[in-house]
Amino acid sequence: MRIEARNLDKHFRSVHAVKDLSFTVEPGRVTGFLGPNGSGKSTTMRLMLGLDSGGGQTLYDGKKLSSHLPVTRTIGAHLDAKFFHPKRTAYAHLQMLGSEAGISKARVHEVLKLVGLESVAKKRPGGFSLGMGQRLGLAGAILADPQVLMLDEPANGLDPQSIQWLRDFLKHYASTGKSVLVSSHLLSEMELLADDVVVIARGNLIAAESMPAFLSRATGSAVVVRSPQSEKLADLLTAQGIASTTDGARTIVIPGQTTDRIGEIAFTNGIALSELSPRTASLEQVFLELTESGQEYRLGETS
Amino acid sequence: MISNLVYEWRRLWSVRATWIMTIVYLIVTGLLGAGPLFLGDGSFGTQTWKGLYSTNANFLCLVMLSVVASQFFGHEYRYGTIRLTLTEFPKRERVVLAKTIVLAAYVTISTFLGWAVLGVLGSIAPEGSIGTQGPGLNLNGGEPSELWQVLVFSFAYCLIAMSLTMITRNLALGIVLPLLVFAVIENLIVLFSGLAKGKMDWIVDILPFTNGTAWLTNLPDSPNAGLIFAAWVAALYLIGSAMFFKRDA
Repeated sequence: MRIEARNLDKHFRSVHAVKDLSFTVEPGRVTGFLGPNGSGKSTTMRLMLGLDSGGGQTLYDGKKLSSHLPVTRTIGAHLDAKFFHPKRTAYAHLQMLGSEAGISKARVHEVLKLVGLESVAKKRPGGFSLGMGQRLGLAGAILADPQVLMLDEPANGLDPQSIQWLRDFLKHYASTGKSVLVSSHLLSEMELLADDVVVIARGNLIAAESMPAFLSRATGSAVVVRSPQSEKLADLLTAQGIASTTDGARTIVIPGQTTDRIGEIAFTNGIALSELSPRTASLEQVFLELTESGQEYRLGETS
Repeated sequence: MISNLVYEWRRLWSVRATWIMTIVYLIVTGLLGAGPLFLGDGSFGTQTWKGLYSTNANFLCLVMLSVVASQFFGHEYRYGTIRLTLTEFPKRERVVLAKTIVLAAYVTISTFLGWAVLGVLGSIAPEGSIGTQGPGLNLNGGEPSELWQVLVFSFAYCLIAMSLTMITRNLALGIVLPLLVFAVIENLIVLFSGLAKGKMDWIVDILPFTNGTAWLTNLPDSPNAGLIFAAWVAALYLIGSAMFFKRDA
């Protein structure tokens, strides 16, 4: 199911929290939703679900969410690890959430088993850890096997094994043709998980594109070449207006170029290469570069 | 709509607080009903069957029901589950309607259970303790002309509690405000009105629970009491609903 967010806009009194945001979430892909604290990610998700009133609209396969019945077969959302009554058992919580789609008891048990909470199904979640709360929230979201999963920081509080499980689960979920929109502050994790990214800062859209395209935006991306004829290659590149820097003996770094282009130049001129590799920036580098000025709550300098 | 109702029904009965408050309601109803029947030394006079069955319109009983009524929205906001509810049921008017219907069902069941308790007490009461005259509701010294009025009054009281919770988004206020107005504030206003030699009568004439109990006990000098009480209930319900439709979850 394709999600199309159009001109989403939200004011909280004098604060313009979300500013005319438009982006799409494609089926069969995991879309990472990134932004600094207070950038408007959670507000945007609430707008997309119709929980908050604001400008713009979100269409699910061209229709409003309320037009898709049962809604829980269309979308499963997990917005907070603590959205449950502390005295309602995990099983009863899911049974209640399964009312609209007519979810069977067997399915409730199946989902509890999937997220590893079967042994505490009859326990009250008031005593659950943050990680267990996340699992219960995820269980509620996937209960009706919806076409769209919308998860807000689902990896918070999870141990490394659970994070890996979540990554594999979400990748598999998307691979069945469903859409996954997931926000996270764990950028290294998101780099492994997301196919596409939507990046916002101070409510403004910074990027909405595929992960490789986003990573290529970094000023730090470059091609690294090692060659016994590195000096000759550097001269050739300079002659073609391509800047390069020497990085130790026989190694040059060429910023802003692709391996295809440099390989072609070397081949055409008969230069032997012992290494030709891209040096792409990490998601964290690109993210920090692009959102630096958009941080809502700035940190002080560390000494 | 059926799934909305199933959701609300499961939400209501899957927390222990509902069971506890219902049991406490039945105990309080039983104790208040049993008092004039078993502890009477003649100062209470005799109790009537109708008076006995109107025991659960006493504010001490109603406050127990209003705790559950406030939880319909109070728990949702307190624990953030309103966002789960509204994701599952984006049409908010249906959410309000489903909660109202389930609240009506809950009040009806509780009231009938209360009557069952009172019926048992009445049947085992000492001979002569139930007669043709009695203290009745102990509200305005009267008793309801029809028992269905007890049910309607109980539901209306709970609807006020639920509406105030919708407005304030605060579970405690939804419980305390109606109780405070019913049991304290209105009595004080009526008291001051007496001291003001008629200058405050117009205020007394529009007080919600004074009119509500006047309607319930069929006071002959308050012909519009039912309408005024209904107007209060409707106004609070409409304001609460409008705020629920308009505000962010």
